Amino acid sequence: MQLRKRSMIAVVLVLSLSLMICASAFAADKVIKIGALFPLTGPAAVSGQNCVNSVLAAADVINMKNPEINAPLAAQEGLLNGYKIEIVKADHQGKPDVAKSEAERLYNQEKVFAIIGCYNSSATKPASAVAERAKKIFMCGCSSSAALTERGYKYFFRHAPTDAIESDEFVEYVEYLNKEKKAGIKTLGLIYENTEFGKHAAEEAQRAAKKAGLKIVANVPFNNGATNLNSEVQTLKAANPDAVFGAALGGDYSLWVRTMKQVNWLPKIAINYCTGYQNPAVQKELAADGDYFMGGMGYSPALAKEFMPEAVKIEKKYYTPRSNQAFDSDSIQEAVMLLVLAQAIEKAGAVDTEKVAAILRTESFPSALSLSGSVKFNPDGQNANALSVITQIKNLDYNTVFPLKYKKADPVFPMTPWDKR
Amino acid sequence: MDNFVQVLIDGILSGLLYALVAAGLSLMWGVMDVINFAHGEFLMVAMYLCYWIGEILGIDPLFSWIAGGIFLFFVGALTYKLIIKNSLGKAAMAPLLATFGLSMLLKNFCMNRFTPNFRLLSGTIMEGKTFQFAGAIVSVPQLVTAIFSLVVLLGVYWLIKKTRVGWAIQATAMDKEAAELMGIDTENIYLLVFGIGGACVGVAGGLMTTYLAVHPEVGSLFSLIAFVVVALGGFGSIPGALFAALLIGLVESFTGFYVAAVVKYVAVFAIYLVVILIRPKGLFGW
Repeated sequence: MQLRKRSMIAVVLVLSLSLMICASAFAADKVIKIGALFPLTGPAAVSGQNCVNSVLAAADVINMKNPEINAPLAAQEGLLNGYKIEIVKADHQGKPDVAKSEAERLYNQEKVFAIIGCYNSSATKPASAVAERAKKIFMCGCSSSAALTERGYKYFFRHAPTDAIESDEFVEYVEYLNKEKKAGIKTLGLIYENTEFGKHAAEEAQRAAKKAGLKIVANVPFNNGATNLNSEVQTLKAANPDAVFGAALGGDYSLWVRTMKQVNWLPKIAINYCTGYQNPAVQKELAADGDYFMGGMGYSPALAKEFMPEAVKIEKKYYTPRSNQAFDSDSIQEAVMLLVLAQAIEKAGAVDTEKVAAILRTESFPSALSLSGSVKFNPDGQNANALSVITQIKNLDYNTVFPLKYKKADPVFPMTPWDKR
Repeated sequence: MDNFVQVLIDGILSGLLYALVAAGLSLMWGVMDVINFAHGEFLMVAMYLCYWIGEILGIDPLFSWIAGGIFLFFVGALTYKLIIKNSLGKAAMAPLLATFGLSMLLKNFCMNRFTPNFRLLSGTIMEGKTFQFAGAIVSVPQLVTAIFSLVVLLGVYWLIKKTRVGWAIQATAMDKEAAELMGIDTENIYLLVFGIGGACVGVAGGLMTTYLAVHPEVGSLFSLIAFVVVALGGFGSIPGALFAALLIGLVESFTGFYVAAVVKYVAVFAIYLVVILIRPKGLFGW
């Protein structure tokens, strides 16, 4: 009798365990793993963490029922009748070699369907090369080096406006100021980190400046994560350009601004690419010292309020509780890429790389988190609808100053000198 | 001419800061032959400590550097007691790997607790203060840090050269067994050296909080430069560390301005390589 009782318990246990294993296997089948490869440590870690939080917010929009949000896939729970998105985080530390090995690990060991990343263009380049060789999808939100979409890749898609687009816009704004405000901007200085991103931004700036007849009087690359930027800023000050285009990420951006204050110098206008300028956490630390600088942006709370109401809802519900701040122009683009990828999977009707990639290449996707409202990729993978505006920061508010269609405030021009603030 | 003076002043101020960061490392390396890979993280810990003291208690880094120095003295001594002591005499690389582990621990702990966000104290006494000198602009926080650096370095130099404890440190560095035979408690000397090393970097970190943002990676490049300073100046030599740090600061500044900013560290490491090839013990090595 005792033996029978024990046998029964054993059978029940075995059956329960089998059921649990089956259930987990079943659940595993209903998950689409997506890699989120960003700099979670290193000089750009703040921005990397924001990007991951942004991707996680997008995953929540897809995985949960959000009837109040008017965006594709928001009202339903999951996609493909019950599939959920699972985000696998990975850290490339801002290093291209680590990005490459992490991309390999994500595809080969974690078996992710696609990777979203990598913030730093220098990391995106090798990581997306891994994806292309493996014929896997790589979704790039905010890496802006124009070279990334000039490689003829088939599985690489990018949302952000390139440095080429932003350079043309910056120069167009300078020309507008010269014409309308008699700004007298004739010379340009460039300061940029000596990376894939910075170097390409500088090349594009030189091309755009040449077209507009702006003379480049200072060309200052620097190593990111530097202990000081004294000689870099001193070089700019000695050349005294009318305008400066900057490409410095995270902590380097705040060091650059504070060093300019230290040497008591400012150009008439300073416009930044996708940099620390766009990061509210960096601006919060800079406080009033960050005022009057400008930068290209695809998002700001003010813009969102007027043109992207659904983005505000998503931000409030899923992003701010994680990041304790509003979306920034960089991180939000990573969320866009996950939402676009999910739409493509839904349209493909299967978790099939070739089918999904074909849809990404050919179709247009509504995007509640994009300023233009939609995403459509060119054959080279670049978002044809990429849109960026120029903002100027004042009291931690990003005020749109150009193009005129989006203009919300008159620019403070020239920048108020340090000793008159 | 104005540019020359500005670049010169920037170089000297940077150099003096590097000297203060490197002084502690020089002692640890010179006396114990232990490479403390966590030196940069000690700097980071001191910066966080003084940042939070400023944020929570409202005490300016101009005063809280004392807390940084004292706290890091104990961190250094504890590191010796709990980690270095247990790894000495085992595998050749054991102390080095142990401190590498400690550096990872400290960095990831701060990353986890404080996030990677950059934190900058605002409203400090010296914030944004500058003055003109010979046509150049001198940053008061950097000047004050440089003066403190000189004072601390002189203090440590005096301790080593003019006091009985200092002679015991020198004796231990030269020949540990002979020092023990002479009645020197080398165990306590090691403990003290790690404590002083920690205190030096603690003072540096505290003062740097006035003008540099704090984040978990802030110590990385400073520690690399500190290693170069120590190897260049000579293991265990405080005047060597001072001279080498000034040399590095000036090379960095002049190369950055007159050649190209992007090659300033290339020049620093090139000089280091040349000196080490010609004089492996460094310029002032024991």
